[in-house]
Amino acid sequence: MFVQIKDLAFHYKNSRNPLFENLSLNFNQGEVSVILGESGSGKSTLLRLIAGLEVPSRGSILIDQAVMNDTFRFVQPEKRGVGLVFQDYALFPHMTVEKNIKFGLTKMNRKQKQARMEELLAIVGMEDYASRYPYELSGGQQQRVALARAMAPNPSLIMFDEPFSNLDSKLQLQIRDELQEILKRTGITSIFVTHDEEDARAIGDRIILMNNGKIQDEGRPEMVLKRNKEQLSLAYV
Amino acid sequence: MYFIRKMRSQFNSWALLSVIFSTLILLPALLIMVQLFAESNENWEHIKEFMLKNYIVNSVTLVGFTGLFTVLIGVSAAWLVSAYKVPMHRFFKWGLILPLAIPPYIGAYTYHGILNYTGVIQTSLRNQFGIKVDQKFFDIMNIPGAVFIFTMFLYPYVYIITKSFLENQSSSLIENARLLGKGSFMTFIQVVLPVSRAAIVGGVSLVILEVFNDYGVVKYFGIQTFSTAIFQAWFGMGDIYSAIKLAGTLMFIVVLILILEKVIRGRKQYSYSTSKVRPLQPKELKGWKKFAVLSFFISLFALAFGIPFIQLIHWVYMTYDVILNTAFVDLIWNSVFVASIGSVLIIIVALIIANFSRLSKGWMGKLFSKITVLGYSIPGAVIAIGVLTLFLSLDEKVFTLYEWLGLEPTLVLSLSISMLIFAYVVRFLAVGFNSIESGFDKVGTVFTEASRTLGMSVTKTFFKVDIKMIKGAIAGGFILVFVDILKELPLTLILQPFNFYTLATKTFQYASDERIHEASVSSMVIICISALSIFFLHRVLEKEPK
Repeated sequence: MFVQIKDLAFHYKNSRNPLFENLSLNFNQGEVSVILGESGSGKSTLLRLIAGLEVPSRGSILIDQAVMNDTFRFVQPEKRGVGLVFQDYALFPHMTVEKNIKFGLTKMNRKQKQARMEELLAIVGMEDYASRYPYELSGGQQQRVALARAMAPNPSLIMFDEPFSNLDSKLQLQIRDELQEILKRTGITSIFVTHDEEDARAIGDRIILMNNGKIQDEGRPEMVLKRNKEQLSLAYV
Repeated sequence: MYFIRKMRSQFNSWALLSVIFSTLILLPALLIMVQLFAESNENWEHIKEFMLKNYIVNSVTLVGFTGLFTVLIGVSAAWLVSAYKVPMHRFFKWGLILPLAIPPYIGAYTYHGILNYTGVIQTSLRNQFGIKVDQKFFDIMNIPGAVFIFTMFLYPYVYIITKSFLENQSSSLIENARLLGKGSFMTFIQVVLPVSRAAIVGGVSLVILEVFNDYGVVKYFGIQTFSTAIFQAWFGMGDIYSAIKLAGTLMFIVVLILILEKVIRGRKQYSYSTSKVRPLQPKELKGWKKFAVLSFFISLFALAFGIPFIQLIHWVYMTYDVILNTAFVDLIWNSVFVASIGSVLIIIVALIIANFSRLSKGWMGKLFSKITVLGYSIPGAVIAIGVLTLFLSLDEKVFTLYEWLGLEPTLVLSLSISMLIFAYVVRFLAVGFNSIESGFDKVGTVFTEASRTLGMSVTKTFFKVDIKMIKGAIAGGFILVFVDILKELPLTLILQPFNFYTLATKTFQYASDERIHEASVSSMVIICISALSIFFLHRVLEKEPK
């Protein structure tokens, strides 16, 4: 198991009720897992906890056998080696595509950085856009750059927070297929967060259905979607 | 356990620096608070028995009437500018902010110069028309005169805040009132006034703080208030003890007023939440209404900026060849020097505390941001006394150290310029902090988080990402602080080292010596720099959509 979450508890400062109580969950190496749930179900918060952007009140998180946090330890986000693609991409507006992608490549020399940057631009099919600024790109192009940037430092785990929600539906399908292709090719462990059943079905090796901070079901996409058909169709009417 | 983990995730050099800076900022105010309850001496007993009541009555009268008139003028100007279109509309929109460039003490002596026996009005009447007037109609060196001065040069605080509220927040309410058949006046009374209450209270509390802070106007006009009393206790009697007691009492009153502000404003903030911000469309005015509104704008602009400005230009023309010499260059150098160092320090401290407070999300961050804002509520003279007490007690320690080392003992710290600059930081940190905090608010934390997940530490993220994304806010904050320090009078008067003058204190000295013509050149420099910064902030940072 690549990511192990055990007895995790978390509550937001301004809310009385805990979002998670005793949440335990595992993610396997090389697998594309999708966390499916309505907004407010806690799926994005779970990503933030794994990335180290939020501090849990109890429980432990291990990534690749290494303790990220438990009772006494807390590893800062920059030391976790986890990539995160944000919902609105969060490309640095004052940097070009090239600079954005090179941003996380701290341990390389100039030549290596350049090579890695070019490699990633080729993977996402954006070779001609290195000198553009984020605002000069379309939504889909920004999305690809965000993916390239997150993958550049070679993270052991990459996570996506509602990656298609800012794209129009036609583009959504295209990008989704591309993304799936890239992930399969690189064999990187990945976690997706989405509220879209179709996305979950198309991209996931496994679906984790989340509801009110609890795991309602998990398993292969067809099975999970079939078992919870009624509830899912109600939620999205 | 959770606490330990939380501390671990957040405790870093940013937290440590924030703790140190906040403590330093808080120290002068704390020292005054402590001393307020110390035993009293003879001077203080005398002040308390015979003079304190007078100080309170005068200060409260000034504050009360100035508050009332700035609300009347500021709110009606804001409403007329936002709701109606008259010729030169765009000019008045920001021109009515310009009086803020004239510090009230400069306005005070300029108006006195215009109106007194040798002033332009009376000499013209005498020489051209042979009319001799009764002096009592032209004497403004009294409480009503001071209220006039404060109102003219401070109403823009109410005007700016109310105007931006009306323009951005209230369009649907006002349009609905019109559709429901309310005339302009009733809309104003029934809708505009109630919905903009929070904004008006916010603006007028700034006015009130400025009036309490003032020393120049009341001293020049010979009105006894807390500020003049603090100066007299310290410079007249050399009695820091009574100065502290007076400062403490004034601080107490200011805190009461701030609490009152919170109560009146209630839970309302300056803005209420509507997701769509649609600017209010001004309506074209016709006929006598157009004429009336236009004359209101013209007279307000003339009284609060045009007339004193033209008079100052005339005086500059009369005196520039005497004033412009190497001593004047020194003066400008001094002012720019202290203002630059003060502003740079303030921006650095503000960046550190604001960054910590936004990333920690906890009570500690909130507490620090509250402390930084404290100084702006406390009148300059009070801060000066607090800082003086702090540095004197530090000097005592240094003094002993020097004696012990066998060196010539001197008052190192309390005679140095570092004391003055430290006091500026305490007083104006809020100005820089607010600007930077709102810059951070606009950007959010997502870019910081992106950078952290890409392997950058908090500090590296700060230099590579955060600071670059709020460049505008940093520049804006720097300009505001710089101008505030440049204009600052009471605090500088108390703490300036021997034989060290700034533009503001030299202006005041000239005016006090009844050499008001000579004061005009330095006044003009202050006004022009302030006006430029207002223009810059208004046009560049709040660029109007065309």
